[in-house]
Amino acid sequence: MFNVKISLFARTRELEHSIDKIHDKIIEMAMVFKEAVNIYLKERRSENYSEISKKIKILENESDRLRRDVESKLYEQNLIPDMRGNILQLVENLDKVVNLFDEVAHKFYIEQPDIPIIYHDQLRTLVRQVSDCAENMAIASRAFFRDLVTLRDYSKKVYLLEHQSDKTSAKLRKEVFDSDLELAHKIQINTFVEEVADIADLAEDCIDALLIFAIKREI
Amino acid sequence: MLTYMLFLSSGLFLGWSLGANDASNIFGTAVGTKMLRFSFAATIAGLFIILGSVISGQNTADTLNALGEINALPAAFSVSLASALAVMLMLKSGISVSISQAIVGGIVGWNVYTGSQTDMETLASICASWVFCPIISGCIAVGLYLLVKKIMHHSKLHILWQDWIVRVGMILTTALGGYALGANNMANVVGVFVDSCKFEMVKIGNLYTLSGIQILFLLGGIAACVGVFTYSQKAIKNVGKNLLAVSPMVAWIVILSQSLVLIMFSSKSLEQLLLSLHLPTLPAVPVSSTQAVIGAIVGIGLAKGGKGIKWRLVLKLMSGWVASPVMAFVLSYITLCFMENVFRQQVMLP
Repeated sequence: MFNVKISLFARTRELEHSIDKIHDKIIEMAMVFKEAVNIYLKERRSENYSEISKKIKILENESDRLRRDVESKLYEQNLIPDMRGNILQLVENLDKVVNLFDEVAHKFYIEQPDIPIIYHDQLRTLVRQVSDCAENMAIASRAFFRDLVTLRDYSKKVYLLEHQSDKTSAKLRKEVFDSDLELAHKIQINTFVEEVADIADLAEDCIDALLIFAIKREI
Repeated sequence: MLTYMLFLSSGLFLGWSLGANDASNIFGTAVGTKMLRFSFAATIAGLFIILGSVISGQNTADTLNALGEINALPAAFSVSLASALAVMLMLKSGISVSISQAIVGGIVGWNVYTGSQTDMETLASICASWVFCPIISGCIAVGLYLLVKKIMHHSKLHILWQDWIVRVGMILTTALGGYALGANNMANVVGVFVDSCKFEMVKIGNLYTLSGIQILFLLGGIAACVGVFTYSQKAIKNVGKNLLAVSPMVAWIVILSQSLVLIMFSSKSLEQLLLSLHLPTLPAVPVSSTQAVIGAIVGIGLAKGGKGIKWRLVLKLMSGWVASPVMAFVLSYITLCFMENVFRQQVMLP
């Protein structure tokens, strides 16, 4: 009986750590992505960029493994029956954000878009905004498990950053299409800008769902 | 002895009804919110109902005897049968009612049929307990709800640990609730057979001696256990899910409040403590666990702003609280009439 209790205690602690690690991975991914775009803008597909691309891939794989682990443990151990569906949805949403970071970084590696130097600062601003947005989303999501007041505080930050990233991407895309670049070139840059901005949109969707789950969580 | 067992069968049927109907109040919310499995919760509740019945079940029997001392076995049979039928009919129509109200209706039916005087003071005290029980339960539930909410807010405990604590709490309160139900409500089931009890004392090794009356209460407890396993799932649908959408934490508070109220109304030591402190006492009266649960759920619903409560269902359940004693009264009168005139059995000893 005592052993059973200890084992249950240990398994719960392990699952708590896995959930925490999922959030750690998103925060790490946001930072690495920011660095990756900076390296790309300076060096294009260099040795350094290949290294950081691999790092992003590893983070994505680890995040996938953690997601599967959390999902199966929640069902195997029959935990939080009333919130289980919501938590699964949340973990899936978080994983989508990680996947999008990976996809965009990989696309830079494959397509090697030629981004004129005059757009570099704006692109860096956009990348900083979406990375901060994803980071704040991860903090809010972590708070959902412990402290609903903190969740609301960080949700506000996510909404603000998403709004700023929308404005930055709209301005950048307008400038690209107003330029004398070839149409194919314009379309390629536009696609990249849109995909980077999509990360913030996805983070915002995640927060929308999270706030609904939080209403259910309040006793 | 065979005749005694035959007549006792209606009491056991009533015991089955107690298990089928009232026991779901103990763990209905826990099973409804999927925190505990039905079989696990039913096993714990059943075990503790038996313990509560045998150890403290007799405390509330005195009050029922004061209301009407049914001294003939055929009459006890008729009153039990009438009460069990009333509960069964209400349960069939989807209304969760209480054995406590049905048995009081049945006993008053016997008093009226035999021309015995009903002790109005006891009847008033029982009826008052029916009003106070949901109110006290509601107040305790609101107090616990606000306290738990405050603790949760400050502790910032992870959702997984909250789940752990609620589960352990639910297991403990299911045991407590089972004990309280056995202690408070078993008098309803076999109380009318106490005067004509034919069982003899049984020694269990050198450890414990069961008196004849305790064996009677043990049989009632076993019958309730059978009711828990065979029919209580239907009543859970009403209490656990429909009345108000409750979170597991709230479900736990509801069970705890209900158990505390049942213990308050069956504890002789609490009565003595209140007396020694010169405070108004709570009589050892069999109260309704259904009323206690509904009082607790409505109390918490009101504390949350009152928007989520399904008032139509609350009114439907409350109508059952009036209908069940009236129905038991009528059925008791009819069965006594049959017993005396068709089966030629004596329904009152001189």
